[in-house]
Amino acid sequence: MAAMKFYCDAERCIECNGCVTACKNENEVPWGVNRRRVVTIKDGEPGERSLSVACMHCSDAPCAAVCPVDCFYTTDDGIVLHDKDICIGCGYCFYACPFGAPQFPKEGAFASRGKMDKCTFCAGGPLPDNSSEEYRKYGANRIAEGKLPACAEMCATKALLAGDADMVADIYRKRMVNRASAALGKGFQLREQNIGSGVDLKGKVTN
Amino acid sequence: MSDKKQSRIRRHRKVAYSLLSLLVLTLVLPLIPYAVAEKDETAGKVFNPGTELWRDVRQRDRDVIGTTQMKSVDAGVLINEYGETWRHFRMQQLVPYGAALMGIVLSIILLFYLLRGPLRLQEEPSGKKIERFTVFERTVHWFTVAIFWLLALTGLILLYGRFVLIPILGADGFGITASACKEAHNLFGPTFLVALVLLFLTFVKDNIYARGDMLWLLKGGGMLGGGHVSAGRFNAGEKIWFWIAIIGGLVLSVTGLILVFSILGQSREIMGLSHVLHGIVALVVISVSFGHIYLGTAGVEGTLGSMTTGYVDEAWAKSHHDRWYAEVKAAEDGSDKIVDEPGLATEGKS
Amino acid sequence: MKLTKTSDQISQNNKSQTVSAGHGRALSRRGFLRNSGLMAGGAALATTLSPTMMKKAKASAATSAEGDTTEVKTICTHCSVGCGIIAEVQNGVWTGQEPAFDHPFNLGAHCAKGASVREHGHGERRLKYPTKLVNGKWTKISWEEAINEVGDRLLQIREQSGPDSVYWLGSAKHSNEQAYLFRKFAALWGTNNVDHQARICHSTTVAGVANTWGYGAMTNSYNDIHNSKAILIIGGNPSEAHPVSMQHVFKAKEENNAPLIVIDPRFTRTASHADHFMRIRPGSDVAVIWGMIWHIFKNGWEDKEFIRQRVYGLDEVRQEVAKWTPEEVERVSGVPEEQIYTAAKVMADHRPGTFIWCMGGTQHTIGNNNTRAYCTFQLVLGNMGVAGGGTNIFRGHDNVQGATDFGVLSHTLPGYYGLSDGAWKHWAKVWDVDHEWIAERFDKEQRAGEYFGEEGADDKIINGMNSKGIPVSRWIDGVLEDKNNIAQRDNVRAMVFWGHAPNSQTRGVEMKKAFEQLDTLVIIDPYPTVSAVMHDRTDGVYLLPACTQFETYGSVTASNRSLQWRDQVIDPLFESLPDHTIMYKLANKLGMGEQLCKNIEVKNDEPVIEDITREFNKGMWTIGYTGQSPERMKKQQQNWGNFDYTSLKAEGGPCDGEFYGLPWPCWGTAEMGHPGTPNLYDGSKPVADGGLTFRARFGVERDGVNLLAEGFYSKGSDIKDGYPEFTDKMLKKLGWWGDLSAEEQAAAEGKNWKTDLSGGIQRVAIKHGCAPFGNAKARTVVWTFPDPVPIHREPLYTSRRDLVEKYPTYEDRKNFYRLPTRYESIQAKDYTADYPIILTSGRLVEYEGGGDETRSNPWLAELQQDMFVEIHPRDANNNGVKEGDDVWVEGPEGAKVKVKAMITRRVGEGVAFMPFHFGGHFQGKDLRSKYPKGADPIVLGEACNTAMTYGYDSVTQMQETKASLCRISKA
Repeated sequence: MAAMKFYCDAERCIECNGCVTACKNENEVPWGVNRRRVVTIKDGEPGERSLSVACMHCSDAPCAAVCPVDCFYTTDDGIVLHDKDICIGCGYCFYACPFGAPQFPKEGAFASRGKMDKCTFCAGGPLPDNSSEEYRKYGANRIAEGKLPACAEMCATKALLAGDADMVADIYRKRMVNRASAALGKGFQLREQNIGSGVDLKGKVTN
Repeated sequence: MSDKKQSRIRRHRKVAYSLLSLLVLTLVLPLIPYAVAEKDETAGKVFNPGTELWRDVRQRDRDVIGTTQMKSVDAGVLINEYGETWRHFRMQQLVPYGAALMGIVLSIILLFYLLRGPLRLQEEPSGKKIERFTVFERTVHWFTVAIFWLLALTGLILLYGRFVLIPILGADGFGITASACKEAHNLFGPTFLVALVLLFLTFVKDNIYARGDMLWLLKGGGMLGGGHVSAGRFNAGEKIWFWIAIIGGLVLSVTGLILVFSILGQSREIMGLSHVLHGIVALVVISVSFGHIYLGTAGVEGTLGSMTTGYVDEAWAKSHHDRWYAEVKAAEDGSDKIVDEPGLATEGKS
Repeated sequence: MKLTKTSDQISQNNKSQTVSAGHGRALSRRGFLRNSGLMAGGAALATTLSPTMMKKAKASAATSAEGDTTEVKTICTHCSVGCGIIAEVQNGVWTGQEPAFDHPFNLGAHCAKGASVREHGHGERRLKYPTKLVNGKWTKISWEEAINEVGDRLLQIREQSGPDSVYWLGSAKHSNEQAYLFRKFAALWGTNNVDHQARICHSTTVAGVANTWGYGAMTNSYNDIHNSKAILIIGGNPSEAHPVSMQHVFKAKEENNAPLIVIDPRFTRTASHADHFMRIRPGSDVAVIWGMIWHIFKNGWEDKEFIRQRVYGLDEVRQEVAKWTPEEVERVSGVPEEQIYTAAKVMADHRPGTFIWCMGGTQHTIGNNNTRAYCTFQLVLGNMGVAGGGTNIFRGHDNVQGATDFGVLSHTLPGYYGLSDGAWKHWAKVWDVDHEWIAERFDKEQRAGEYFGEEGADDKIINGMNSKGIPVSRWIDGVLEDKNNIAQRDNVRAMVFWGHAPNSQTRGVEMKKAFEQLDTLVIIDPYPTVSAVMHDRTDGVYLLPACTQFETYGSVTASNRSLQWRDQVIDPLFESLPDHTIMYKLANKLGMGEQLCKNIEVKNDEPVIEDITREFNKGMWTIGYTGQSPERMKKQQQNWGNFDYTSLKAEGGPCDGEFYGLPWPCWGTAEMGHPGTPNLYDGSKPVADGGLTFRARFGVERDGVNLLAEGFYSKGSDIKDGYPEFTDKMLKKLGWWGDLSAEEQAAAEGKNWKTDLSGGIQRVAIKHGCAPFGNAKARTVVWTFPDPVPIHREPLYTSRRDLVEKYPTYEDRKNFYRLPTRYESIQAKDYTADYPIILTSGRLVEYEGGGDETRSNPWLAELQQDMFVEIHPRDANNNGVKEGDDVWVEGPEGAKVKVKAMITRRVGEGVAFMPFHFGGHFQGKDLRSKYPKGADPIVLGEACNTAMTYGYDSVTQMQETKASLCRISKA
């Protein structure tokens, strides 16, 4: 069984938010619902890195575990989807999800959130593939068309990878080998030049 | 004091303590994971090359709050560490322990009923009726009961429906049921607070600790030993129930409001924690309410009438609430509190 | 307008995720991979980024039952990277956007803006029909009324004040054809008061670079960065401004071990990925560059052979550099010696290294000095004319390079021909319009007087045709300055904003006044822009809806000089019209429609784009826009997958041997089939295959020193040394005249490589392996500029009063681009006590330019909802400001903006940063109610430039937006 996964390469992510708007574009997600977001840690400091986060399509998905109506299911491709006709909008998946993936279209009193919405790995939902109803409720079904999620396909620096976990790992492994050799080569040259040891922010403006 | 009597008191004390500690444990146990940070990686997944970075992110000492362009709640949190704990609480603790608690309480009641049977009046019903609850008091009570059970049932369906009802109704059918339950629970939830306030105002004056309550407790309300213990309008057991209901209800209301008004921008963690408290307290209150129901109906002969008609037999009053009876009797001079109603007298006998 | 995938098409093998069934579309992994093309797609994502891209699966399920989906290849309209886009159109509605995996620039990748361009096809917040302001109310009018009323008003102004009183402000958002037609339009109207955004983005680059080695453009390409062994980025933040370019930077960084050095006042998102970061004080670029070269000279790391053969004037540079000891560099820029040394050593050790700069270097009063210092750095290291080296100047808008090349500028005609009579005659000939007729259109009798000291002698009558017009950065002064101080007959009385946002220019308060003082204000744009609302006018404002570039077609020039053909995706929305249609309609009204489209077919008032292309092909000899015929460009667009990801060269296929986009110079006529020049000045290839030498633009000798190359020549050259530019006489002298056909000889007689309309001179020169423009040295001394050798000068509003004496700015000038221009009189006053914080500005990835278009796109607007100022924690604490507070940022000229505080260490102590894309608030006032109904952008905010101050480059009038002062207080 295939296991579709996302992986965001923090060495390449430049927080351009291309994945975010690609998702909005492909799935026509309304304002306020962000199936994907980019989080930057240590913003403005040495070591700053960004990661694009969405549903990670966990193998043992916490959202599915806590759902009171059991509306989640995992496809044969390892994609975690849910049925909006069953979803009651309780928000439990939102509490349980490690990645903040579940989104709700409304925020009203009496916990009227509306049906949960999240990244589908561009695989639609339980309705007939590429039907207008599926598109309206879940967005695009690129997987059925033999394509990968729009966010990863459009990533500006190819930082966001999507696909079968083995292949994603493979691509990343190749990159790591490249980087390791680069680090070795660069390391020797650069160490004697005092660089590569991180970025010095001390150079400040004197006035 | 005879040795026999002393040992009985000791035994009662033991039972009371063990019950109390059980209650404390039920409340505290699920919280342990929050105190002891769990660093358990979800193992057995497909290899994820990002694990290391994620681990770094997770194991930072300070809060890892990143920045993001999203405006939604907690959008800057890269890893919601709390989520796994919450899931563990709900699925591994709340669901099984809650079911166990309710099951145990029901079993104890059943056992008690089978072994001891209902508590009979010590003397024949006099046929003389004495007003125990006014119309207003009864309205408040039943109003609270209605809301409470609406919320309890819908809540229990949301908690256990997935295991109990999906096999019966199917996923789609249960989805509709659950949706209705969720809406009802959320819409009527806030009215529970109104009921609670009324309940409190109506009954608080008779539920304050009075002399003799401790003795009543030590004697287990007479249930364990036999022979009635002296009590006022409400005995210590009823008072404890009152305070459990009020405090528990208050916790339920506050946590419920936090959950229901998510528009205020509270974090997932606050909401998750509210849910934890809400769940524990709800199950405890529901379980305790089983006892209350039992005692108010089948458990004690002649009690039900107090909340239906509002009147009880003098004999009932004398045996269960002797001090209250005395007060009523004392106040009766010059007033007409006792009414002779033949129709009611027969009911008292049944 | 909105249409989603409406049709229900349920194939029997639906539901790939049926949980129960193992049949149907529930594929095995192997099957899935085969179907999805992931096997091939994997390579796309792999580190090698091979261009053998994932084949788009044309699964039948993807298409809908009603209305076939057609795929349109087009080009992103945001930045100059020129990303390819595949648009899916159903029933005339833009329903889908697919990544163009085989596009050589972006491999399907997009930034936030590129990934959301489909919104253009749905956007409701557009200018929908012609509108005019009547008594303060927007009133709908017809196109006919609009053209008539605008035309009458302009003609009246022309009558009263002359043609120079109408200002034609063009756009980098126009296609090449529209830009060219626009410049022609202004020329036929009879004014040089025409300009566009390039003035305020890279004009100092173009001037500096062109005056160093001949052409003012990016020398290599984004893709060529793959060959770099080191990458230096100064004053640029491509992670936000050109995100897809980072794909190429990372490739070099990861595969070549290329160190990435970032020099910037801000720790930008680009800097966060750097190996070495140097935080400099805004405006101290020259000091830093000379500081690095100081180490290079000291250690003898310069490329001596390269300098001997191809560089002029380095001795004068040495004298200047000698002054920049490490101590002095640190004193001026704040960067300690070891950091400077490291950067210099890394660049010297890793050759070829590329040098990238953007607006952080250009937008200064000494912008031209900065850019020339950068060039000098690359010349010293011998990094020019090699793959992996070069000055990779990232231009801004999608077609700012093209619009610059087509001279939508107040100082030149298309192709950098300048404004001399020769240039006018050349273009008159190309246009087939009588030169005399054009000359008649201009104001001739301009006021002479003692006032003008610089460009004209005291009593010389200035010819409107040959004098530089007012630049866009100064249009407000053209309106507000005393009539007697302006070198034209009258003030500017009418502004035509043809695709330009005013909030990208400084001095907002004065701009508001200028808007109000105008007689007529015409805005031709898909969006109302801030021009429509920032003033308190009640009439005389016309809004004419132009369509976006997705609603028309034409060619567009990316930063790397590649021309790409952009196909039309959808029909113009609402009542909008393509810009060239509006130009023709207006030209007709103004009585010059016939001249404008003399050899261009017009269909339904729309000039045929291909005819315009062919017309400029006939005249753009200087920079080789002659070989890119519409047919060649279209063929390349259809086969863009055949081009190599690194070299951009097609291997096989219909475009075999050509470089993608036929990067200019694409010499000679289209028939000659020149492949384009991927890297400028690269002598390792024959000129016929894209090789080149430095241009012989500045004469053959100066003060007895040879300016031509010595011992260097491009591969296969018949002349084995430097040579001047080709003329008819030179061909005759060389004995190559006979290589011209009889027709070519007739056309070339008395002409040179720039003016020979037959292209024969170019053809023959290239046939002999020679560059038509000669083979010379690059010059590091530009003797025609105020500072022949780039020197450091303090900004007008400097924070360092102690440096003013040693590094003063220029003297005030009386007539500079027709206007008095102040320098030292401003610098004389010390503002630092009241305005202690340096104010700088820059870009955000989500927005583009003035932002009206992107702030109207909900997918983007959601990501940046508040205008903000970045403040260092120390400055925040000193001023009692907390994260998220509303603060006033006030500039020393008194203008202030109310924005949200962002406390961050991105900026250094004493520096504040604001993005410049916001608009629609003015000094604390929300102007939303002033927009025409339904056309207000979703997000409004203060324009940072409202508070930005006076200051203009000494060569190009580039505005200073990167180093001013401000004070910040809680609102």
